[in-house]
Amino acid sequence: MKRFATALLLALVAPVFAIDTSAPLQDPAQQARYQALIHELRCLKCQGETVADTQAMFGEDIRRQVREMVGSGKSDADVRQYMVDRYGEIILLRPAWSAQNAWLWLAPALCLLGGAFIAWRILRQRRSLLETDTSEVTDEARP
Amino acid sequence: MKLNRFVIPLAVFAALVVVFAVALKRAPEKQFVRSALLGKPAAEFQLPDLLKPGTNFDSRTLKGRWVLLNVWGTWCVECRAEHAQLLAIQREGKVAVIGLNYKDDDDAARQWLKELGNPFDAVPVDPEGRVAIDYGVYGAPETFLINPEGVIVDKVVSVITPEIWQQRLLPIIEGKAK
Repeated sequence: MKRFATALLLALVAPVFAIDTSAPLQDPAQQARYQALIHELRCLKCQGETVADTQAMFGEDIRRQVREMVGSGKSDADVRQYMVDRYGEIILLRPAWSAQNAWLWLAPALCLLGGAFIAWRILRQRRSLLETDTSEVTDEARP
Repeated sequence: MKLNRFVIPLAVFAALVVVFAVALKRAPEKQFVRSALLGKPAAEFQLPDLLKPGTNFDSRTLKGRWVLLNVWGTWCVECRAEHAQLLAIQREGKVAVIGLNYKDDDDAARQWLKELGNPFDAVPVDPEGRVAIDYGVYGAPETFLINPEGVIVDKVVSVITPEIWQQRLLPIIEGKAK
């Protein structure tokens, strides 16, 4: 059992080592911020992946840059701004709230509202049909 | 009312088909990332010059000239395809062609230029890709067109084809583009 648990743990741990092989930052708080930041940056070379999860050269370089910036006392906002200045907003996996991005954030709510409105209209129409048109309901059909 | 039932969904469906068809057709030529740096001053840098060992190349020496900054590496397959066009651009002599050697091996890079010919006026070497980050580079080849004031006016991701040079970049340099 113990051996099995060890094997399982090792199996789970392996992928963590596979990508980011850099030495952790001395300060655990900084290391945590570094980890969080690389998980919110997009690997532009590979698209669907984060900078944290990619083996692409691009990810390696961006991780190094983030690590150095965090290590030298830059704030999370500084790092994000640095990346956006160079790569554009696309590098942020979670787009910032802005006038330009408003439609992106509001689209799901608008779709839901639109759907709800259509459903409401259909239901209302059906009910009014039931109320006005009773021609097909005969006495025999009633329970 | 009966008609609406079919016409509206059909119209919506047709509209979606058109939107997707156009988007799909345009996708390959449309750049995934339109550079955030267009219209911004090009970052200054000083890097060792592959062509003049022991000396540094300083980007400030380029002020006052049109510059084509090409990011390349011998590991980059498309760069080989692009090479002939870069040689042609160098022969035309309308721009300074600078080849930022990106994450490469110096000897391999020299060998490449010896074999295929050298289209570059200078080859700053960026083994760690630090200057590349300043230029928002995420692969190779990528090419920046920088005006005499030192502002990035266009960026080509992937290979510069003769068409891109003739129809897109050259008109900007000659002042014919809007």
